[in-house]
Amino acid sequence: MKKVLITGVTGQDGSYLAELLLSKGYEVHGIKRRSSLFNTDRIDHLYVDPHESNRRFILHHGDLTDATSLIRIIQSVQPDEIYNLAAQSHVAVSFEEPEYTANSDALGALRILEAIRILGLEKKTRFYQASTSELYGLVQETPQKETTPFYPRSPYAVAKLYAYWITVNYREAYGIYACNGILFNHESPVRGETFVTRKITRALARIKLGLQDCLHLGNLDAKRDWGHAKDYVEMQWLMLQQEEPEDFVIATGIQYSVREFVDAAAKEIGIAIRWTGEGVNEKGFDAKGNCIVAVDPRYFRPAEVETLLGDASKAKEKLGWTPKITFSELVSEMMREDLKAAERDEVVKKHGFNTYQYHE
Amino acid sequence: MSTSFKTESDTDAPVKRALITGVTGQDGSYLAELLLEKGYKVFGLARQESWYKANCASHLAGKIEILFGDVSEGIDLATAVQDAKPDEIYNLASQSRPGESWSRAPETLLVNGLAAVRLFEAVRHNCPRARIYHASSSEMFGQTEVERQDEHTPFNPVNPYAAAKVYAHQMAGIYRDSYGMYIASGILFNHESERRPLHFLPQKVAYGAACQALEIANSPDRNERGRPIVEDGKLALGNLQVSRDWGYAPDFVRAMWMILQQDLPTDFVIGTGLSHTLQDLCEVAYQSVGRDWKKCVFSDPVLVRPLEPRTTVADPAKARQVLGWQPSVSFEEMVGRMVQAQIRRLQRFV
Repeated sequence: MKKVLITGVTGQDGSYLAELLLSKGYEVHGIKRRSSLFNTDRIDHLYVDPHESNRRFILHHGDLTDATSLIRIIQSVQPDEIYNLAAQSHVAVSFEEPEYTANSDALGALRILEAIRILGLEKKTRFYQASTSELYGLVQETPQKETTPFYPRSPYAVAKLYAYWITVNYREAYGIYACNGILFNHESPVRGETFVTRKITRALARIKLGLQDCLHLGNLDAKRDWGHAKDYVEMQWLMLQQEEPEDFVIATGIQYSVREFVDAAAKEIGIAIRWTGEGVNEKGFDAKGNCIVAVDPRYFRPAEVETLLGDASKAKEKLGWTPKITFSELVSEMMREDLKAAERDEVVKKHGFNTYQYHE
Repeated sequence: MSTSFKTESDTDAPVKRALITGVTGQDGSYLAELLLEKGYKVFGLARQESWYKANCASHLAGKIEILFGDVSEGIDLATAVQDAKPDEIYNLASQSRPGESWSRAPETLLVNGLAAVRLFEAVRHNCPRARIYHASSSEMFGQTEVERQDEHTPFNPVNPYAAAKVYAHQMAGIYRDSYGMYIASGILFNHESERRPLHFLPQKVAYGAACQALEIANSPDRNERGRPIVEDGKLALGNLQVSRDWGYAPDFVRAMWMILQQDLPTDFVIGTGLSHTLQDLCEVAYQSVGRDWKKCVFSDPVLVRPLEPRTTVADPAKARQVLGWQPSVSFEEMVGRMVQAQIRRLQRFV
């Protein structure tokens, strides 16, 4: 049985990838950070009690900022494939915590590559590095493909760029099967609540049910290429099954603005938004004239990435990969799931119990 | 932009203060001399273990103020910035051996990459008006497809040293654009001098030529593998066909200072624009002492790096036009000086 190790297994991609690999018969090992709060919501449905025999899903405590823990885990698991999905993945937060972001996102990737080398696993273990469309930042050509020069605009993107290069360097210098998947934005119902898509669907659901008044957003004109995480993790796996390691751009090739995402999500639950004003004064009103969307400059970034649009021709050509889930299906699924969660909160509240009020 | 800085004739203005990280190195020491000459009060950040042994800036003891600290510790950098209250900061500290960065990759990222961010953060919070010069490197171009590299050439780093330098370079740009800080990077091509340590190629070649001139068959100094650098009259080098743009360090530190005197912070490529192969270098060095390099140098496969950057040569047009900078010492003259300095050093062994 093939063994894989997933860092960031508690995250959106980690949970989808773990599901996919379990369905393919792998023994799946995941690394999670110790936290005083439960942080395994997304993989609880995969959890197997340690007392059961023949477990195929096993979690280890570890941390990308702790080389010793990584070496210990990789040594004991001896994985055939490692998917490095763990990261401080929030662009805006990276401006506040640049050093931690570099430590986990840049040094973290290096620590895993070094562990592979130190443990003599160069010929055995294949390595997937989660690179990102944020590398393109101030885009140098549109759409962006594997050969487009990078122009990172945030501490997150720069740290990820280091990880990108060090992955290429270790592949070329030591012959490690290592690849970068340059993934454009990919969303799902389990996307982190502070990422813009999830923030929108969650807030609109709560507004619909009267649990919240208004959704505050940053740059409404930012354009992104949004796909579904479920499609993208399949690509992560495919990339490690080739003869030769190569880097791939993964994207849908279609772009929408944040405003368009809001419109599409609102439409799903029968709200038509009327937009007025411009820039920081732009507002979105519902049919009753309530302001349900407003701009808050607090969410502007010191350096904005205005537009990202991917060209995944290489992935299509060489791996036969195309995304299956459309934008409207994605929005619809996210909206549906967040509406369910909001309805649950509504019921709980109606019966006099407290609901959790999560804030950024 | 702040214009409160004094000009050289303006004696009433307060003395300008400069902080140099990596002051004990080749560039740091030349830069400290230049700034002292220009009337600056110079602070140098150095690790105790670097300062208390013989180093390039030892002769400046008493003339510059040494602040002890390590750039890989954020607190040390913040303290140095607070103590020096600098008008200008020159961030030169670095793990400066690309070849070795393969075996010291994590440390290289900490010192060459993260330390820059710690410095930018310290400056952003403690003295946001200070101007920062950041030492970037032509190694960032790596296996570039572009024939002559300028400020717009995309990076293609091929070793952990270069990847860490790209990290710091990009972060410098982000801090400049995001927070309006005065941060300018100099993308310096190779620059050598009498003060270069022996593990840098041109110095190693100068040393080899000096040994020949003095007829030393087995040199007193040893290489990374513990063997005499010159053994049985032969000098072992890596790939002799690599070519580099080699300039003279004192010319380059002048460019660093010039970069910080511009109204707006921008990045500059600094190089001579001339490319020489390692073989050319050997030829010039051995010829300067009347010897034939072919009889004294051989290429040892062990010394070839896992990945070698392609030919790099600068297009320094921007530095020439905007700064009015150009090199004052030619390649031949520099190599000659380096060989002579090694002869003086080695004479005591003869």
